[in-house]
Amino acid sequence: MLTIENLHAEIEEKGILNGIDLDVKAGEVHAIMGPNGSGKSTLSSVIAGNEDYEVTQGSVLFGGEDIHEMSPEERAHRGIFLSFQYPVEIPGVSVTNFIKTALNAQRKAAGDEDMPAAAMLKKIREKSSLLGIDSKFLSRSLNQGFSGGEKKRNEIFQMAMIEPKLAILDETDSGLDIDALKIVADGVNALKTPNNATIVITHYQRLLDYIIPDFVHVLYNGKIVKSGTKELAKELEAKGYDWIKKEVAG
Amino acid sequence: MEFKDKLLDTYIAFEEELGPKDSIQKLRSQALKTFENHGFPSKKQEAWKYTSLNSLLQSDYLLFPKSEKAVELNQIKHAFLYEIDTYKVVFIDGVHSPFLSDTTHDGLDVCLLSAALSKPKYKKLIDTYFGSVADNHESMTALNTTYAREGAYIYIPPSVVAEKPIEIIHLSTGDQGAVWLQPRNLIVVDRNAQVQIVERHQSLKEHRVVTNCVTEIFAHQEALVDYYKIQNDLDSASLIDNTYIAQDKNSHVSVHTFSFGGKITRNNLNFYQNGEHINSTLKGITLLQEKQHVDHYTLVHHAQPNCESHQDYKGIFSDRSVGVFNGKILVDKIAQKTNAFQQNNNIILDDKAKVNTKPQLEIFADDVRCSHGCTIGQLNQEALFYLRSRGIPKKEAKALMTYAFANNVLESVQIPTLKKKINKLIANKLGVNLGFDL
Amino acid sequence: MAYTEEELKKELESKEYEYGFYTDIEAETFPVGLNEEIVRKISQKKQEPEWMTEWRLDAFRVWKEMEEPEWPNVTYDKPDYQAISYYSAPKKKDKYESLDEVDPELLETFNKLGISLDEQKKLAGVAVDIVMDSVSVATTFKETLAEKGIIFCSISEAIQEHPELVRQYIGSVVPPKDNYFAALNSAVFSDGSFCYIPKGVQCPMELSTYFRINQAGTGQFERTLVVADESSYVSYLEGCTAPSRDENQLHAAVVELIALDRAEIKYSTVQNWYPGNKQGKGGVFNFVTKRGICHNHSKISWTQVETGSAVTWKYPSCILKGDYSIGEFYSIAVTNNFQQADTGTKMIHLGKNTRSTIISKGISAGKSQNSYRGLVQVNSRATNARNFSQCDSLLMGNDCGAHTFPYIETQNNSAQVEHEATTSKIGEDQIFYCNQRGIDTEKAIALIVNGFSKEVLNKLPMEFAVEAQKLLEISLEGSVG
Repeated sequence: MLTIENLHAEIEEKGILNGIDLDVKAGEVHAIMGPNGSGKSTLSSVIAGNEDYEVTQGSVLFGGEDIHEMSPEERAHRGIFLSFQYPVEIPGVSVTNFIKTALNAQRKAAGDEDMPAAAMLKKIREKSSLLGIDSKFLSRSLNQGFSGGEKKRNEIFQMAMIEPKLAILDETDSGLDIDALKIVADGVNALKTPNNATIVITHYQRLLDYIIPDFVHVLYNGKIVKSGTKELAKELEAKGYDWIKKEVAG
Repeated sequence: MEFKDKLLDTYIAFEEELGPKDSIQKLRSQALKTFENHGFPSKKQEAWKYTSLNSLLQSDYLLFPKSEKAVELNQIKHAFLYEIDTYKVVFIDGVHSPFLSDTTHDGLDVCLLSAALSKPKYKKLIDTYFGSVADNHESMTALNTTYAREGAYIYIPPSVVAEKPIEIIHLSTGDQGAVWLQPRNLIVVDRNAQVQIVERHQSLKEHRVVTNCVTEIFAHQEALVDYYKIQNDLDSASLIDNTYIAQDKNSHVSVHTFSFGGKITRNNLNFYQNGEHINSTLKGITLLQEKQHVDHYTLVHHAQPNCESHQDYKGIFSDRSVGVFNGKILVDKIAQKTNAFQQNNNIILDDKAKVNTKPQLEIFADDVRCSHGCTIGQLNQEALFYLRSRGIPKKEAKALMTYAFANNVLESVQIPTLKKKINKLIANKLGVNLGFDL
Repeated sequence: MAYTEEELKKELESKEYEYGFYTDIEAETFPVGLNEEIVRKISQKKQEPEWMTEWRLDAFRVWKEMEEPEWPNVTYDKPDYQAISYYSAPKKKDKYESLDEVDPELLETFNKLGISLDEQKKLAGVAVDIVMDSVSVATTFKETLAEKGIIFCSISEAIQEHPELVRQYIGSVVPPKDNYFAALNSAVFSDGSFCYIPKGVQCPMELSTYFRINQAGTGQFERTLVVADESSYVSYLEGCTAPSRDENQLHAAVVELIALDRAEIKYSTVQNWYPGNKQGKGGVFNFVTKRGICHNHSKISWTQVETGSAVTWKYPSCILKGDYSIGEFYSIAVTNNFQQADTGTKMIHLGKNTRSTIISKGISAGKSQNSYRGLVQVNSRATNARNFSQCDSLLMGNDCGAHTFPYIETQNNSAQVEHEATTSKIGEDQIFYCNQRGIDTEKAIALIVNGFSKEVLNKLPMEFAVEAQKLLEISLEGSVG
């Protein structure tokens, strides 16, 4: 589904990614871990097409297509979803209106008609209850005045609505207490099918107790320095990142 | 003869008295022309809409009071931060008092403007700085420039940290009837230097005095300037205080203005940001009673990208007092990534008190975060009741809430002794004795 | 690649005024210039009573002594008031009984604007009093209104038919000497609308007027007077579009609202006069005086969507004279290219327990300048007055300016006044976030601008909100969809 080869990217002429290789297949869950500043968030931004970052080398293939020239919305239309680490506030635009606009934009790109209002409403009800989202919450301005937990839950709600092929969860666990974490993880797990894939980006291991990864990669200095199974995450938790740093240095 | 005519007519004699040694003769005569053309500001001008000087201009004033009067030290002690060691530049009726002053040339200059204006070794400095940031098209500033000859001159060389605060104190004795004083301060803080300055104007007894003061402050790269103005004069004294601040990149300048007294006080406080990553802070507490009138007129000119400004003015108005706040934030087109904040909160305690506030934003750059807010209201009655139900008497409860209201301005005062002093002043004004400091 | 801000800016700049066409209807026009004789002639032409003629002449004499104001934050070449013709009326002077009789070309014009009267009548239930170059040419729904005792007609007709009402109220809120443009209007107003809602009557439909400028070299001086008697309610809609012109056109209207005890008036405006081309040439000068007076327990609410005009100078105001009266002002002002807008409101609190709310949203694009200027005044007798003001500016591009000049004057210790203002731009992070969800940049900007304006759009009557949104789109076309 997603094939990244020798990816280099920089921001303001500062290299952040220095040769990433990653292959994600349908039905898989990949976890990317790493210390602060290792390039985790950059990787997600680059996959989603944030133009602040410049790809200087390598390629990202999605469904066999090179997405380098694609705009962020084109990538979204093809099924890439990014759950933001810091979801953006848009005053005056309600959660409902926003998700309607997004969903219909994606349908339009696929050549479909707008979703009928009743069907939309039904879907919104269904997905919001999956994530335990109150209906009052849906009429609030997007992310404005949301608590950290509400913002993250809202991201997963949008993911549930959009049903992407590839979901990238960027530090979705940060700012969540254990109950919220469970709700979010249950939501993610419920949305899992053999046809979609998930990349979980996290600093800590705890989210991986709830979203079980098939593969774990450790990112350090813009490179994947170690890959393994979920046992690797446990090892990291126990030994800390210094262990990796030393290993790389050695 | 109108007072304006007197000001114009006196000039020739004044010029002769100064003689050819005067470094700023040209500037003076230009300024005189400006003042002649514009005269005193009137309420017709937008900038003076809410403050009239008419009541001050009905009488005659002595422009150049004679030499130093003897004053009792304990009579004036309260005007100083006597608990701590400071440099002091003290003037009595506009004339320098060597007895009360504590000046220095040791590693930094804390001395007199009169010396700087007449001694050749300062000429280059005067040429560079004097009058270069002050707005000489503004008539009160022009009037000051015309007759400027005394005040504080402070120079902090590169990377020098002034190890004690500097006090600039202007005393007026009232021994010579009505006086019109025009002190002029010049402060240059060179690269990476730091200084704390406290300025105060104080009458020693009830008499008519008008002070039209101009202060120019230059903060070079990485300089840190912390400036405090204490305005707690008697009800017969008026002050027109014009402060102009030019900042270079990475400098931080903050000015706190505590306006607790005086008849009419007008503060023109102007910041010009001439480099990137500048931080400007303007804060004030205005606590007025009787018929006092205070007008804060601020300008922050963001002329370069990536700078910040913070304004926070609190006002508490009793009796028939009048408070004016006119704050302007100007963001030039190139000043992207500006963060400019302005807050003006007022509490009116009595029926006859008035507040006029006019916060302005003029923004020509799109990538900025600017906001202003102002409120006019009363002390929260519920909170007041809560405090009283806990046994705190009404007066103390009110005082406590006033303190709380003004607290975030006090918090940023960096000189602990000064903070204590201001706390005490506020307590006195509110007629309470609080057993704590904030 | 993605739609960039550069492209957006270009599109904004190249967006031409869509409604720039000109209807060729025969018109009778006075010679240019202004003097007492012209004023008399206007009055005569309209067969006005003596008192009205004198009232106009007094206003003219006052105007002659006045100077054009300099204080607004706008620059423009002052019109030559002696080079304007002060009267222009379609030749056909008879009123139409039905739409069938209306000049087909005129109907065509309205069709181009998408406001076909038939459709309007059916869909919205709006009675439309069209001011076409200063004289009413069509009035509908009059009968329905007449049943309730509601008077809705042209001001000329009202002067003839209801002189006692007009005489009592005209100039009572905006006296002729109030300001330069009000004086000019008082002297030469050609026509406008008059509306009276009797005691206790709730007007069953939204009353609406479409103003247009449509004669080369003519100024437009409407006069609107709305009187809501005790315990009555009316919602009044005013919308403007104007054909494209090369020379600047002057528009100096006066609107007076009177809300008697317990009455409520809701006055909504969508303004889309020709803003000039993208070089800043041409366009309408919109110098309007709008003011309402509130008696006890009454309420006046102004809502405006300002997208047009080269220069706008406009401060719909409320004099809260009565105890417990309420004033509201909701405004969206969009400026693009070289447009300049200096707009806001005045809330004058005189009565006890009066309240006012001000919500102003300014959107600047291109090389335009957008200013909010407002006054909140709490007088010494206005015990327990409350005001809340919020002024937000959104800047698009780096060649425009946003300015905020709120004046707050309080002379009463029981007043509570709050003012907030912010300035922001559309964040790149917001756009990226929308993009990531599959929403393209153009749509994302539309979404964000709509969200920004929502509090005001929500205040418009339903049937008008659609048109308002359409005008917002046109003004920021390419960005707002």
